[in-house]
Amino acid sequence: MKIFVIGAGEVGTTIVQALHGAHELTIVDQEAARIEEISARYDVATIEGNGASRRTLAAAGVAGADLLIACTARDETNIVSAMITKAVAPRTTTVVRTTNPEYLEVWHEGQLDVDFIVSSEVETAAAISQTITVPAARHTDLFAEGQVQLVEFDVNESASRSIVDVPLRDAPLPADSKVASILRGKEAILPGGDAVIRAGDRVIVIGSPHAAQSWGELMVPGSGKVRDVVIFGAGAYGTAIARRLLEQGIGVRLIEASGPRARVVADDLPEARVYHSTGTDPDFLERERIGDAQVAIFALRDDMQNHYASTLAKVHGVTFTIAIVNEAVSVEVFERAGVDVTVNPRQVTAEEIVRFAHDPRTQQVSMLEGDRFEVLDITTRTGSEYVGLTFREMPIRGALIGAIVRDGRAVFPRSDDVLRPGDRAIVFTESSRVREVERAL
Amino acid sequence: MSHAARIRQVGRPRLLAVDVRASFNLVARLTKYLSLTTLVPAAVALGYGEPPWPFLATAAIVGGVAVAVERVTGSADSSVGTREGFLVVSLTWLVAALVGALPYLLSSDPQLDRPLDAYFEAMSGFTTTGASVLVDVEQMSTSLRLWRQFTQWLGGIGIIVLALAVLPRLRVGGRQLLEHEMPGPEIDSLSTRIADTARRVWWLYVGLTVALVAVLLAIHAVGADDRMTPFEAIAHALTTVSTGGFGTKGTSLGDFSAASQWTIALFMLLAGMNFALLYRAFVRRQPRVLVRDEELRLYLGILSLASLVLAVLLATENIAGGEAAARHAIFQTISIMTGTGFSTVDFALWPPLAAMTLVALMFVGGSAGSTTGSVKVIRHLLLWRILRRELDQTVHPEVVAPVRLNRQVVDERTLRAVSSFILLYMGIFIVGAGLLAIDAARVGLELSVLEAVAAAATTLGNVGPGFGFAGPVGSFAPFSDFSTVVMTVLMWLGRLEVIPIVVLASRHYWRNF
Repeated sequence: MKIFVIGAGEVGTTIVQALHGAHELTIVDQEAARIEEISARYDVATIEGNGASRRTLAAAGVAGADLLIACTARDETNIVSAMITKAVAPRTTTVVRTTNPEYLEVWHEGQLDVDFIVSSEVETAAAISQTITVPAARHTDLFAEGQVQLVEFDVNESASRSIVDVPLRDAPLPADSKVASILRGKEAILPGGDAVIRAGDRVIVIGSPHAAQSWGELMVPGSGKVRDVVIFGAGAYGTAIARRLLEQGIGVRLIEASGPRARVVADDLPEARVYHSTGTDPDFLERERIGDAQVAIFALRDDMQNHYASTLAKVHGVTFTIAIVNEAVSVEVFERAGVDVTVNPRQVTAEEIVRFAHDPRTQQVSMLEGDRFEVLDITTRTGSEYVGLTFREMPIRGALIGAIVRDGRAVFPRSDDVLRPGDRAIVFTESSRVREVERAL
Repeated sequence: MSHAARIRQVGRPRLLAVDVRASFNLVARLTKYLSLTTLVPAAVALGYGEPPWPFLATAAIVGGVAVAVERVTGSADSSVGTREGFLVVSLTWLVAALVGALPYLLSSDPQLDRPLDAYFEAMSGFTTTGASVLVDVEQMSTSLRLWRQFTQWLGGIGIIVLALAVLPRLRVGGRQLLEHEMPGPEIDSLSTRIADTARRVWWLYVGLTVALVAVLLAIHAVGADDRMTPFEAIAHALTTVSTGGFGTKGTSLGDFSAASQWTIALFMLLAGMNFALLYRAFVRRQPRVLVRDEELRLYLGILSLASLVLAVLLATENIAGGEAAARHAIFQTISIMTGTGFSTVDFALWPPLAAMTLVALMFVGGSAGSTTGSVKVIRHLLLWRILRRELDQTVHPEVVAPVRLNRQVVDERTLRAVSSFILLYMGIFIVGAGLLAIDAARVGLELSVLEAVAAAATTLGNVGPGFGFAGPVGSFAPFSDFSTVVMTVLMWLGRLEVIPIVVLASRHYWRNF
């Protein structure tokens, strides 16, 4: 596919990294330094210029593109770029990154001539809310309109004895779920019935959202439903997260240092409790019993603030912390500081955008362990060699079908179920085998 | 030219920052039109074979003076802004009561031949209070009785709304006038143009009045009430829709049939609702707005609760039973709470708990954007929410909790205004009640605490009857002249929601520094 990427910032670079091998990429950015860096690292065409300029786009040959990804940091540049592309090349699919929820709303109402809009805030909020619904998980992702959930756990001493050191076929695993992979050191095991989960492993599970919660309960016994979440920072990310959690009936307390901003957020979110405080005042943390919160999310303006505030919150008794990562390098710092989960909005956004570049039959992909594994949502062809086989008979080639969506409903296949043409398969695979899997199905 | 020279050129600072001349001009212009309204009772007088000249003379005198003042004060560049608006509304009501009082004085009615009494009666009319110094209203001529009713109808929707709807010349800059005029902290605008909104409210008002007349005439026609003659029907419709409460009988509505009483209760209930809401629900046919409105829900809730208390009380004390207990309880509750002031029985004779309930209702009032007086339900609702937030913030000082009404955030300025309004209102009430008690002691008038409190509350809340000698079948005549003046001022303050008048007493209103 011929793909144009407008913007070579962190989102753009992540996208290029994921797509450069399989597609013909052209990157447009105004900053010479970024362009140089991209062209030094990847085999892609680069153009230094304004992505919202018709002359630049036309000269770069946008008319022949299959897909345009506009992912600069500026919403308006992205939208204009997509609109110009639509005018020049009506058949090009356009994907726009936005940070403004209003554009998302306008797009949903069909008033923006763009094929897809991806909002960093909404994607980040979704990622965090998935983590919170299964607090024991390291990472989770939803597929098939939320019917299938992927969860990644670190197995440690607290995990239930009933599943650790027991062959999978004998373990009381939650119904409607499947262990997709067991990661032990550098090794990745696609488990059969004899495989065993050990403490220190990392396991990846695909199953129904209900099963995902049961898994969470097995991994960290006593981790029930979350009711009390504190969010530090009511900026765009903090607010989007709060909105998402409130929709799920989770109680949210928001802490915002700026008075006017706190007021605006309190106006917008009637169900949230909003505090005007820096969140680093020990008296405040003590008085409001912030330590009682089940989860604290740090969405402050910069990573250093997040770092300090999360450490202080831990001091006050918060046991589970999630931090928004503003710069990729902070991930390690946060992990050292004992932050339980880090979410990089740019990474999340890039993942969401990358799915548009896959096979048109592929609905959604998720990247795991950096980009070591991917999850695909593929509609099976009639001519596929797997169609008509029972799951027991399928050859194992470094990929696993975790669930299928048949007539819009998720089915978690047993070994004697048969794959039919037109089924949507949720496939877990190593990134290097994506093309192979797509071809096979 | 040097800077100093330029500065000196400005000359001496103006003494007053308010354009008094323009304000007088506008008041005169409004009064000119108001004087024409006396032609209605004049026509009635002719029809009943009574002398029309007191009304014609009023029209001539007031019209002449108004035109003269308008001429004298008129100048091309004068304009009325927000600042002048306060002065204009305050003055207009004083002048209107003057216009209302003239026919009483000119016809030398024996009960209203003293200027203070006539002025009280007229102020009670234009402020839709319904308190009366008349001992026997039935002694009055038909045309004067109709004029009493008519002043309430005019006062109800406000002379200025009328002027806005009728006088296209006032369209520009009319909004600030209407804001004082349509009582309550907010007007839910029906149109982007103020004159349009005013006209719609006006037509709704006329429509409600006509509808009530029609229903009452129908009740008369089917023989359900012999006493509800066409004159009575019109007279009572005029003071029901305006929540005024003047009657044509010494016993208010006591001698009319149950059907008439229920009908009037229903229309008082409607008149106590937000007119913008009524317009949406009935004219635009969006009845759902009624269900969603928090103020309306509380309004109906308070009415139901108070009615229930009174009904139970009437039944257990054997004052009335069955339908009569329900009717008297509901009628009195609606009448007092909306500040109408009609009565179906002499509730001054009811037990203390009933009296307390009714006095408390005097402080409730109807909805914002209605013709009612007093504090109004919306302010009670907001005050409750403000207090709840204060308590919340006592425990959680950092919490940011906007106060909402119908899911909309109410801005802090409005909340401050609500708090200060209620404080000011209660302050004025206490001072008023105190003055009445002191004055009664001075002249040797027997006035109980309840009576003093009720008299101040009823006049400030534009309700009408009080307790004791000033009860629903009684009269305010026994009060001394000084007390009459106090209560006249209270009615004036209450009708204009205190602040536009109190503002005039502040130095910052008149001066720039």
